[in-house]
Amino acid sequence: MTDISREALRADIADILEIAPADLADDANLMDAGLDSMRAMNLAAQWEERGLPLDFADLGEAQTLAEIHALAQARQGKAPA
Amino acid sequence: MSGQARPLTEAQSGLWYSQALDPANPIFNTGQYVELSGPLDLDAFRRAVDRASAEAEALSLVFRDGPDGPVQALGSAPRLSVVDLSAEDAPEVAARAAITAAMKTPADLARGPIAAQTLYRTGPDRHVWSQQVHHLANDGYGMVMLTRRVADLYAAFRAGEADGGRPFGALETVWAEDGEYRASARREQDRAWWMEALSGMDEVAGMAPGRAVTAHDFLRHEQPMADTAREAVGALAARARVPWPDVLTALVAAYCKRFVEGPEIVAGVPHMGRFGSAAARVPAMVMNVLPFRLAPDEDLPLEDFVRQAGQRLQAARRHGRYRSEQMRRDLGLLGGNRRLYGPLVNVQPYDKPPRFAGLDARLRVTGTGPVEDIAFTFRGEIGAAITLEVDANPQLYGQDAIEAHAARLECFLARAANAACLAELDTATPDEAAREIERFNDTAHPVPETTLCRLVEQALADHADAEAMRFGGASITYRELDRRTHELADALRRRGAGPDRTVAVALPRSPELVIALLGTLRAGAAYLPLDPDHPPARLATILRDAAPVAVLAEDDPHEIHGDRLLAPGDWVTGSQPAGGPTEQQQPDRPHLAPDHPAYVIYTSGSTGAPKGVVVPHRAIVNRLLWMKTQYGFGPGDRVLQKTPATFDVSVWEFFLPLVSGGTLVVAPPGAHRDPTAIAALIRDEGITAVHFVPSMLSAFLDVPGSKGLAPARVFCSGEELPADLRDRFHRRLAAQLHNLYGPTEAAVDVSHWDAGPGDRSRPIPIGHPVWNTRLMILDDRMRPVPPGATGQLFLGGVQLARGYLGRDDLTAERFVADPFHPGERLYRTGDIARRREDGAVVFLGRDDHQVKIRGLRIELGEIEAAIADSGLTRAAAVMARDGRIVAWIVPGDGYDADTLRDMLAARLPDYMVPAALVEMPRLPVTANGKLDRKALPAPRFASGGGNAPKGPDEQRLAALYVEILPLDGPPGRDDDFFALGGDSLLAVQLMLRIAEEWGHDPGFGALFEAPDIASLARRIAGGAAIRDEGLAPVITLARAGGGRAPLFLVHPAGGIGWGYRTLARALDPARTVHALQSPALDPARGLPDSIDALAAEYADRLEACHPAGPCHLGGWSVGGVIAQALAVELESRGREVGLVALLDAYPAECWQAEPEPTEAEALRALLAIAGYDPDSHAELDTRAKVIAFLRAGDSVLGNLPPAVQDGVIRAVLDTNRLVRNHRHRPFGGTLTHVRADADHADRPHLVADLWRPHCNAVDALGVPFLHPQLPGAQASALIAPELARRMLERERIVA
Repeated sequence: MTDISREALRADIADILEIAPADLADDANLMDAGLDSMRAMNLAAQWEERGLPLDFADLGEAQTLAEIHALAQARQGKAPA
Repeated sequence: MSGQARPLTEAQSGLWYSQALDPANPIFNTGQYVELSGPLDLDAFRRAVDRASAEAEALSLVFRDGPDGPVQALGSAPRLSVVDLSAEDAPEVAARAAITAAMKTPADLARGPIAAQTLYRTGPDRHVWSQQVHHLANDGYGMVMLTRRVADLYAAFRAGEADGGRPFGALETVWAEDGEYRASARREQDRAWWMEALSGMDEVAGMAPGRAVTAHDFLRHEQPMADTAREAVGALAARARVPWPDVLTALVAAYCKRFVEGPEIVAGVPHMGRFGSAAARVPAMVMNVLPFRLAPDEDLPLEDFVRQAGQRLQAARRHGRYRSEQMRRDLGLLGGNRRLYGPLVNVQPYDKPPRFAGLDARLRVTGTGPVEDIAFTFRGEIGAAITLEVDANPQLYGQDAIEAHAARLECFLARAANAACLAELDTATPDEAAREIERFNDTAHPVPETTLCRLVEQALADHADAEAMRFGGASITYRELDRRTHELADALRRRGAGPDRTVAVALPRSPELVIALLGTLRAGAAYLPLDPDHPPARLATILRDAAPVAVLAEDDPHEIHGDRLLAPGDWVTGSQPAGGPTEQQQPDRPHLAPDHPAYVIYTSGSTGAPKGVVVPHRAIVNRLLWMKTQYGFGPGDRVLQKTPATFDVSVWEFFLPLVSGGTLVVAPPGAHRDPTAIAALIRDEGITAVHFVPSMLSAFLDVPGSKGLAPARVFCSGEELPADLRDRFHRRLAAQLHNLYGPTEAAVDVSHWDAGPGDRSRPIPIGHPVWNTRLMILDDRMRPVPPGATGQLFLGGVQLARGYLGRDDLTAERFVADPFHPGERLYRTGDIARRREDGAVVFLGRDDHQVKIRGLRIELGEIEAAIADSGLTRAAAVMARDGRIVAWIVPGDGYDADTLRDMLAARLPDYMVPAALVEMPRLPVTANGKLDRKALPAPRFASGGGNAPKGPDEQRLAALYVEILPLDGPPGRDDDFFALGGDSLLAVQLMLRIAEEWGHDPGFGALFEAPDIASLARRIAGGAAIRDEGLAPVITLARAGGGRAPLFLVHPAGGIGWGYRTLARALDPARTVHALQSPALDPARGLPDSIDALAAEYADRLEACHPAGPCHLGGWSVGGVIAQALAVELESRGREVGLVALLDAYPAECWQAEPEPTEAEALRALLAIAGYDPDSHAELDTRAKVIAFLRAGDSVLGNLPPAVQDGVIRAVLDTNRLVRNHRHRPFGGTLTHVRADADHADRPHLVADLWRPHCNAVDALGVPFLHPQLPGAQASALIAPELARRMLERERIVA
């Protein structure tokens, strides 16, 4: 289980949105920034491969990077190994 | 139904409606199974499945129709059932069979369950887990969630944990979200976005012709996608920085576009619709299908193409909650063929193989809901493995076709790895391309290096005393022909004729015409035929353009020939033009080579001026020697010459007999338009080969003189040869029939097809290439099309013309470099074609502005240019409609229709002068500014113009009449749908549109009985409950006052009487006509046990409807047998019977020796009743296939409820059985018999006299039609007056 750093999540999301990580604010609405189901699906697939406790539905429910990070932190304890 | 009833969501409504239309259709079952290998903990698995099923509330839904529309509620959840098949011989096969059987069982939506969870044990440590859910309850992503949830729970339970992962959300949240969205401003914004995105969309087509309505099953081909293709997509996605699913979607859509006409394709892209939604954790039916319009710019760098496509897909997804069903409604794309999208491209990156702890799991999807057209589904991960599934509607595709698509698509995707742009991606696989370019064109054949001139001169020497030519009963020998053509050749040479020069020939059909053509060739020049009857202005243009050294004509009435005129009287001495060469300077015989022109024929030119096609000797020599060998022409042959010399068909008529040592029989001028004269010539002159344009052949077969002729070989070309005409031909003549094809630009014909009596092709192909010739079907970038696909026909080989005289620009445009054979040329025909499996080419139409009327080639642009040049119009469009030329005109200053017509007649040949001029304030244009041809009003059927429709229902209905019928103006409320040009096909459209507008339709019966706007609107307003399928025991086909005795027509074998509608309406004076229909149409009833009992029942009905006074009876086919029995019955009851008309019916004893009809025959009858030719649908050999075929078509019968279709089949079977057991009792009156004279070739004993034992007298009539055609419009036009007259006469007798 890798530690879930906010910066790693930011880099992943920024990459899929084709923007610089610095341009993705913690509280920016991800859908407004261009995250859609296909990109979310790709992201979820990547994270699942790496064992992160985040799935596709989480990406829709959490609207910002900050919320996603909080969700991952909260779930880390009970995530399957 | 337990639980609280809820209305359906928007996503469910469309599916509900489709299923309700066809409740027995099991295609709405979605399903998948997982093969599990390894030790299964059955208890843990059962708990996992039951828990997941209980959490997924949608699996317990039940549905019913409520007063305010359909509703749903929660029932009980399915539980896992375990079936042990391990004792079976082939447990895995048994499991798959059980799964298939379950999938083919329609769900009981009202009672449930609509979902099932089944585990089949197929061996120790081998299980198959099947899940099946009706599409109303779940979608593809929901199924993935369900499977994963079971896997997670199984892992947890095996590990002794109480739970694994997160449970599903409540269905209530999906319902609430649907309600919120429906009422939201967001929905309005989405709608606006889509309307903008879809504006100006043309009619959407699929990759295969036909109506895209889901069948009861689908075809499936599944294959792992090749690594090369998968890696190419992945690499392109990385290069372009576009999500790979979007790259794949864009490339697949670009592939599909290759199979669709027009600039764009509209693919359907399934959208899971769950991102950012509560439904992301709820199995439910949420998915949407988004129309994805793609007009690929094939020259764009591939990365840019996928980037742009990806952006558009991303934008569409943002508005992806707006339902596609709603878009269809917004755009009026409802019913029939009006589609929102064609092929489906479904990329499911989330659908990876499920992982079950300790087990090897393999997933197979068995059904994803209705398959209207074709669906390309990709499941998996771009970096690992992807599975391609192609699902297709069996009505539109065969298994071979979808497998070929899969192989080709894989090739297409793999090629994307190295391509700069789409244009570089061939559609066909390399093997398919080789077939198209080379294997089908393996036609190399040695032909001597010679000229047409030398070929004929050889025959002149070899057959000197033989009869070369016949005209008006007189003959000319080859020797005489040699002398006279030699003299003319000398005279022409003195005038400067020789290679690369032309001599115009403007003579009527006569021996002089033949001598002129051959004399010209022997002088070394090319002949240029002119029609002396063409407008002088046109002739003058051609003469100026071609600059012939002489004009061989009888006179010069328009003074356009000048001193070039050389009349037949001067051919021997040759009158000398001033300053011309003298006798002493007689040139030597010129050196004539195979590449010198033999003739120049002018054809209609799109730019307004006719263009001269220059055909070299080499080309026509190949064509003539091929024909001589192919059909075995020799000295005994007598070829009829009747085609005007200005059409290139005449070239082989003139010269084939002369190079074969046979006889050229020249028809008198004008005879080519007179089928009776042609028949007489064929008979009197012993013709062995004759050519017809198919429309002329049809007229020829109709004349009495053509019966029984045996002209050995008949050749058709010039227009499509209809299959029905072929069949009619062989019933009437004992001759070979050959279908030839070719443009003037390729020496008459380049392909041939033997349309002999054994040929069953529909349509008839234009066939295979002649010697040394290639036919290639290429796409708009000259890439070979795959087998069966439509493309442009290109011609290559020795028969190509040199080009257009003096028009290098036009020549370069139409004669292009052959990209597959360096140094050779291809001629772009402008014809659209496809290739059959056997390599035969099928002509499908023109891709441009060229049409053929009565076999004559016409460039509409030439007519448009002539109209423009008149100076009388501001704009004009010309099209062919129903075989006539129609011009739509925006009048300019000084416009007058008669003046314009006169001006056009002075410039154009008569067949190019428009038959109708339609004046308009402006021409309609499409959204992108092009002429909107579909919006041009048809010049026909003036509407009644009576009372205007009243009230909203009548007005809405009137609007539908305008939409569906070809009307000039708004219809009145008393206007009759059928009188305005409606037919059965349009009736189906009207019913569909009424159902869309009002939510229900009144049934076809209502339309047949009440076809005027006022009455039909009243029926519609009566509500959904009053639905009239037109199956009542007695229906009214025509109603008239005046107290004349009514006519009752008895149904034919199918039990339905609507078919008499045309006949009923053709009766003049008007008369009330009823049809009696079979009780077998009512599923609750059967037939009585004899024809007499049936007749008694019909007599009761007739008396109830018409209690007193005389009546008339009639019936076609089996209906005639019953009509005679009914006449006997009425007579015994003391009723007066006037006319008894038996339309091609024969007494029962004629059939007793024949075997009882089988179900297969009843099905064939059903096809015939629906208007199809059963012979061309041999594949429809089961009831299910026939019903599915009919349902997919546009026939009235196909759109009836299935129970009624069953009734028709039952009526056919039962009625035929009764007829076989029937014994006729004698009728005391006269039977009027109408024989289908064109039919019964195989049963010549079927004649009117067979009825003599069963009546007092027989009144025999005959009409030149086939049995099935009798109730049709053409036959009715002949029959109705005869019947009307007899009814009046009988009324006078009985009165």
